[in-house]
Amino acid sequence: MRHFQLPKFISDLDYSILILSLLLSAVGVASIYSAGIDSDGVRFSNEYSKQIIWAVSGLVIMIAAMALDISRLKDYTLFAYVAVLLLLLYTRFAGRVVNGARSWIGIGEYGIQPAEFAKIITVLFLARYLDASEQSSSFKRLVVSSIIIGIPVLLILSQPDFGSALVFFPILIVMMLVGGIDRRYILFILLSIGCTFLFLMLPLAGKYFFPDGNILDLFFQRPRYVFMVSGLFFIALALSLWGWLVFKKEYYFWLSYAFSILDLSILLAYAGHKVLKEYQIMRLMVFLNPNVDPQGAGWNIIQSVTAIGSGGFAGKGFLQGTQSHARFIPQQSTDFIFSIIAEEWGFIGGLIIIALFFLLLYRMLGLVSSTKDKYSMLVCSGIFGMFSFHFMINVGMAIGIMPITGIPLYFISYGGSSLWSAFLAVGFLLGISSRRYRM
Amino acid sequence: MAFSGDNKTRIFVLKLFIIGVCLLYTARLFSLQVIRGAEFEAKANRYAIQSVKIPAARGEIYDRTNSIPFVTNDEAFSVEIVPAELPASRREEVFQKLAEILSIRLTDIQRKIPPSYYHLYQRIAVSTSASYLAITKIAEHKEDFPGVYWNSRPIRRYLNIGSLSHVIGYVGEIGRDEYKLLFNKGYSSDDVIGKTGLEKFYDGTLKGQDGYLRTTVDVKGKNLAGEAERLEAPVPGKKLVLTIDAAIQKTAEKALGNRMGSIIVLKPDTGEILAMVSYPWYDPSIFISSNSGEEYLKLLNDPNKPLLNRAVQSSYPPASTFKTVLSTAILEEKAISPKSTITCNGFLEYGGRTWNCWVHSPGHGSVDLQEALANSCDIYYWTVGRDNLGVEKIISYAGDYGYGRATGIDIPGENAGFIPTPRWKEESYRERWNPGDTMNLSIGQGYMLATPIQVANMMAMVVNDGVIYRPHLVKEIRDGESGALIQSMRPEIVTDSSISASTFKTLREDLRSVISYGSARVPVSTKAVMVAGKTGTAEIGLKDRWHSWFAAFGPYEAKPEDQVVVVAMVEASNLWEWWAPYASNLIFQSIFTGQDAETAAKSIGLNLKEQHLRGRAE
Repeated sequence: MRHFQLPKFISDLDYSILILSLLLSAVGVASIYSAGIDSDGVRFSNEYSKQIIWAVSGLVIMIAAMALDISRLKDYTLFAYVAVLLLLLYTRFAGRVVNGARSWIGIGEYGIQPAEFAKIITVLFLARYLDASEQSSSFKRLVVSSIIIGIPVLLILSQPDFGSALVFFPILIVMMLVGGIDRRYILFILLSIGCTFLFLMLPLAGKYFFPDGNILDLFFQRPRYVFMVSGLFFIALALSLWGWLVFKKEYYFWLSYAFSILDLSILLAYAGHKVLKEYQIMRLMVFLNPNVDPQGAGWNIIQSVTAIGSGGFAGKGFLQGTQSHARFIPQQSTDFIFSIIAEEWGFIGGLIIIALFFLLLYRMLGLVSSTKDKYSMLVCSGIFGMFSFHFMINVGMAIGIMPITGIPLYFISYGGSSLWSAFLAVGFLLGISSRRYRM
Repeated sequence: MAFSGDNKTRIFVLKLFIIGVCLLYTARLFSLQVIRGAEFEAKANRYAIQSVKIPAARGEIYDRTNSIPFVTNDEAFSVEIVPAELPASRREEVFQKLAEILSIRLTDIQRKIPPSYYHLYQRIAVSTSASYLAITKIAEHKEDFPGVYWNSRPIRRYLNIGSLSHVIGYVGEIGRDEYKLLFNKGYSSDDVIGKTGLEKFYDGTLKGQDGYLRTTVDVKGKNLAGEAERLEAPVPGKKLVLTIDAAIQKTAEKALGNRMGSIIVLKPDTGEILAMVSYPWYDPSIFISSNSGEEYLKLLNDPNKPLLNRAVQSSYPPASTFKTVLSTAILEEKAISPKSTITCNGFLEYGGRTWNCWVHSPGHGSVDLQEALANSCDIYYWTVGRDNLGVEKIISYAGDYGYGRATGIDIPGENAGFIPTPRWKEESYRERWNPGDTMNLSIGQGYMLATPIQVANMMAMVVNDGVIYRPHLVKEIRDGESGALIQSMRPEIVTDSSISASTFKTLREDLRSVISYGSARVPVSTKAVMVAGKTGTAEIGLKDRWHSWFAAFGPYEAKPEDQVVVVAMVEASNLWEWWAPYASNLIFQSIFTGQDAETAAKSIGLNLKEQHLRGRAE
């Protein structure tokens, strides 16, 4: 085991990342403890004690990950990647259904969500590819990277676990950015994702968000018109591509670029409408105006925002959150853990959580620019993408400015898989940090 | 490593991005909590009481004619307090007034709402049985009762169901473990669920869908003007129409009297159960009363086990009723000619011990198959079972009749009975199966165990030429409100045996001979109907007491749809009266004359109270 040993240069370890992770985990256990009592003060859940077990075992995982010199083991990442894909495939067909998705494997009460670990393994493998393919064209790297990300995404989507699948995109974008892929392509992906969401939402926006008889609704009620307009977009793309190939003018390139984004988004949004149920799409957009469906999809947001708002500047005190303990908020200990923190600890507490995550993410970026090799740098950036997206979506969802996608807040949300994968990722980061000045 | 300028810019972009996100989120948090904090606090107080659950009424339960109710619901109100909405200055005053109106003690309210609860937004019930009048008084002066709510809560009412308690079962508050199992199926922690019997088996059908009243009210508990109420009406549970015939059930209940045991009356051509009695029974209403815990413990610790439904949850040696299975096997396998005779001297020497027939020396004399069944000659079945059939064939035919398997009746907790096998004996006793075991099995003794419902199925199979329908207690499911038919239970075949019809025909003749000239000639005296059947007297090691079985059907050789199967099982714990055939006789008399139990008893000359006999009779 040449490449499995605790780093000799423990002094180079990025202690701030370690300490921030431990602090956040402690906050998590306390919040889960609080989420486990109802308004009578009666404890109905012992999730917090399980979380402690997972945190302690997570530390062991972290130390093991730290001991791995991953940049020397990068050639083995393909095996890990294939293994995790097989695991996802197995989960898809033989896994346990939790909250409507076949996403768990395990024994008895204990189980793991392979999707959580798939993220990290995919980061390692994609880093390996981007590291080795620097001489290839940006376009080829874009396509191959998209495929590497695409396979696990499709497997996870088929569970179906929409939230976990989404996390792969920020990972892809950040790693391509750091991996030096042409900015136009990165912009292409960003805009495509944006437009896909837009097109996914427009029909429902017409139906629910605006008064009856609005033009959007009238348009989407008529599939023939929708089909015709979409057809026009495809003709426009064909014409601009033809113009670009014939005239070689940059003007035509940008036209093709724009129409490719639009047409791709139309196709993806169309597929989205086929695959997703209407209420699932509503969950994604209801944050824009929760009052259109206050008893349904908007309920969580209204309750979460009310809980947070009522916390005020100083909060209601530990275990004193009235909204949270009346159990108005579902998934109190996982998806909406931030609302219980902000209700009980107020603005001060919320600010501290944001600050802790900010420091953690900022340190990760610091690490990205100080690694000894390109591979480690790419791994750090992928992990940064993963953590920042989870933070952004989960907290954003609780404060009502992000769609409800049901992804956990790393370190804080209840759940063994997410905690373990967070510690695994941090272990890799610490390992990289401790080896960064030595070859 | 060295970075190109481009890469530095890219990382800088990421840094800017994360700073931006954190600033934005901090600003949003500041806006929500500091700038608009007071607004949300007020809103939070309103939301805390926003939705009120209106419990749905459980489905009612009726007899097979859908005219006699067995279980309905009563209207009752619970009065609840949300302590946090009750201002401290008015707390004492409100408690005092409530105590007066509800005629409960002030200290009871104070005990239910101790100071540590004063900040809670949870509703706490101070009374669960308030009258309509009391509620009107509170409602008229709602502003005097901030934080006080009421709720109509239908409670279960069992209407003199007597011996149907085991069939119907009872309800109770959902237990912690039940809740864990059921919470994905739309149950909530304060639900009432069926605990046993049909109440449990059909819980999903009987349980309605709770409704909600969502109102927006201010902190004082007053409805805010202009804010609409949203009512989601509760959907009552579905109604069950049972297969039980109330009159036959009553007769069966009286026929069994206060003897421990059970009686089943079954329609063989559908599997419908017309009556099912298990004694001792209990009153399910006690589970609704306020001291239900105590009463439950009493039932639980009663040595007579009143909670047990002996008709399906107890298994006994089937004794001589099992000779029906042997006769089937002998006829179908042609193991020995039905006309060949075996001589019974009242005893048999085998394996170093003496086996006594129930008629001691001089015994039954020379008997053929029919005479052996009619007079229940043990010697005949011992000999033929051991020498001509063998254990494997007996086991196989017992399996054909459904022994050793649950019948699939629609109440929970069924006992599957037991068929011993040589392999089982070897595994559990480390002893070889010997011919003596086969002899014991041949007369339904030894390790063999059967439930009364299995014995009833055996008779149904004889009537139906080899078909057993799943025995069931629910005939129809109807809409709780309109009474419209939703589902009508169809007869469901669970066994369709390949045994020939001629075997069953001969078997029926033989079973008829049990009554026409055999062992049950005296007790089964009814002239109203031609009964065929088999007695059984099970040895359980007591000197002068035995389990008494009688399994019968009638009218003999009528069409299956006109027949009924009656199985009576009286445990050996009772004084020996050989009661099972007498009880069955009474039931047949009552069913086929329409007389009630007392009249029927008089016309067959039976004393319902007791019938003393000495010594074993069969």
